[in-house]
Amino acid sequence: MQTAPSFFLAFFRRLHWHQIILLAGLTTLAVLILMPYFSGGRECAAKLAASALQAYETVCPSDSERFWRLWHRLFIVALVMLVTFLTADLWWRRATDGAARPTLSLLTTQLIAVALGAFVGTVISGLIIGRSLMQMFATDRMFFGILLFTAVGIGIGAVTATLLVYRSRAARADADIAKAESARYELEKQVLASRLKLMQAQIEPHFLFNTLANVQHLTESNPPLASATLQSLITYLRAALPEMREGSSTLGREIKMATAYLDIQKVRMGSRLNVSVTLPEPLAHIPFPPMMLLTLIENAIKHGLDPAPDGGQITITASLTDGMLDVSVADTGRGLSMAKSIGVGLTNIRERLATLYGKAAHLQLTENMPSGVIATISIQQ
Amino acid sequence: MTGITTALIADDEPLLREQLRLRLAKGWPELDIAADAANGALAVSLYETHQPDIVFLDIHMPLMNGLDAAKAISALAKSTRRPVEIVFVTAYDQYAIEAFHRGAIDYVLKPYDIERLSETIDRLKARTQHGVSDIVQRDTSAALANAIRQINEKLQPSSAYLQWIKASVGQTVRLIPIDDVLYFRSDEKYTCVVLDDSEVLIRKSIKELLTELDPNRFWQIHRATIINTRAIAGVVRGSRDQADLKVKGRDEILTVSRNFTHLFKQM
Repeated sequence: MQTAPSFFLAFFRRLHWHQIILLAGLTTLAVLILMPYFSGGRECAAKLAASALQAYETVCPSDSERFWRLWHRLFIVALVMLVTFLTADLWWRRATDGAARPTLSLLTTQLIAVALGAFVGTVISGLIIGRSLMQMFATDRMFFGILLFTAVGIGIGAVTATLLVYRSRAARADADIAKAESARYELEKQVLASRLKLMQAQIEPHFLFNTLANVQHLTESNPPLASATLQSLITYLRAALPEMREGSSTLGREIKMATAYLDIQKVRMGSRLNVSVTLPEPLAHIPFPPMMLLTLIENAIKHGLDPAPDGGQITITASLTDGMLDVSVADTGRGLSMAKSIGVGLTNIRERLATLYGKAAHLQLTENMPSGVIATISIQQ
Repeated sequence: MTGITTALIADDEPLLREQLRLRLAKGWPELDIAADAANGALAVSLYETHQPDIVFLDIHMPLMNGLDAAKAISALAKSTRRPVEIVFVTAYDQYAIEAFHRGAIDYVLKPYDIERLSETIDRLKARTQHGVSDIVQRDTSAALANAIRQINEKLQPSSAYLQWIKASVGQTVRLIPIDDVLYFRSDEKYTCVVLDDSEVLIRKSIKELLTELDPNRFWQIHRATIINTRAIAGVVRGSRDQADLKVKGRDEILTVSRNFTHLFKQM
């Protein structure tokens, strides 16, 4: 069973702090408006009205003059409240810009400003109509009037500030939606761009013509090897020509393509290239994005072994440990000199991994010992 | 010129050296192939030993490419006052072919076209066997130097700026593309390299890094900080003459000290 106080406590706990402030502001205004209708309050309000009237009667004899003076005062008070409100707003933004957690919230600052504005405005308007400070604070009824104005100010301030907070909150929500939308567009654009990059033929004419020159020679000197090399070239072209490529692939198929490419390179480079491939049988059927392995191998040849007069070794290894598939291409070549540009290949792989798997996949480059580079693609399974 | 004409073949692909040797043997049986080289540096040293009349140079070779080898060989030829004919061999080099055309420099394409090769052989025969005047020789070497400079500019656009950060992480050395770095922060003796998802320490100081980084992409914003311009999310004026810089995708705020706030003055 829930008791009444605990029910209210739960109710207030569920309320947001600015809802509580809004409630408090509305209550203050309601009390001020309804005060004359309560038994004790009626008397008090009548007294108040009478005393205020008396105070005015002493300075303004006619009714219309009193009315205009009251308006005059109200106008001044409203003006001062507006100025303090805007100043507080401006000051708050200036003072807290960039800070993650401002010590005062905007709402609190505005509330304090409006209350202060109501108080100061009343005092100023009093001064303008020719009263001294002594008179205002020493005389009970005048002081009461000032407090009344301040209370109204706090009420109005609370309501205005809360409504403003709601509005800016709605605006921020709109901005967030717009931001999310633009992030989505950005992502779509990236997906398209990376798809486009993948579509562009990556076959270097240099590679193609050199391979054909080798095949041409082999047809005369070693026909069986010429035929085998042509077969490898066909396998490579099927993978590398975008029109012939399939959207998804498996690790086994990618390694087969890579081996075809390496077979061609072995013909071209002769003893300068040694290859070793380790692919555990069960891993062959794991899905793997197309062309990535080939790009890593092309890089290993182009930047690693090609510049090395004695060539070297390329080791392809696939392993699955703790749900993480690691596919690495290690070369014993030149290694990356600090001033060599990264090339579009690796950037392209990074972007594609990010669009396909998000944070669940990455490409990492490490130095191979004693020389060369190890490039590893890791995909969480 | 008297005696047998000699030649040198340089190509990093053994089968293609072999193929050129066979083609030349067929098209020009009297030509003596003195040696063949698997890279540019070897070609230059073999040129020195054998002093051939003709050098066939592949453009893409390890250690020293065909263009640099040609430069070295023509310099050697000039110093020994011994004329040399340089013929470039290439599978596909758009820029090179354009430059060769402009400079009227000999080249042959792989795979070897028998007709095209025999035209080249005829030209070479004419020049080596009837002798070449010194003036013509000097002219071609100037054209050669010009073409080589042009092609090398096109072939090696890689900047001299730092492209990779090598950082030890445990036992391994990670290679980090320079564009992945958000910012560098001096950390006592070391420099902290801040990346999207991690931070690594390197020994290079901020001062050393400044001389090696591309000044258009990396700005010093503080005595102890260099920022990748790509990683700047926004800058707001801070207290005194400083400014606060927000880093893309990160919570921290970097201080731009007074000396560097001019970088962010409005355009």
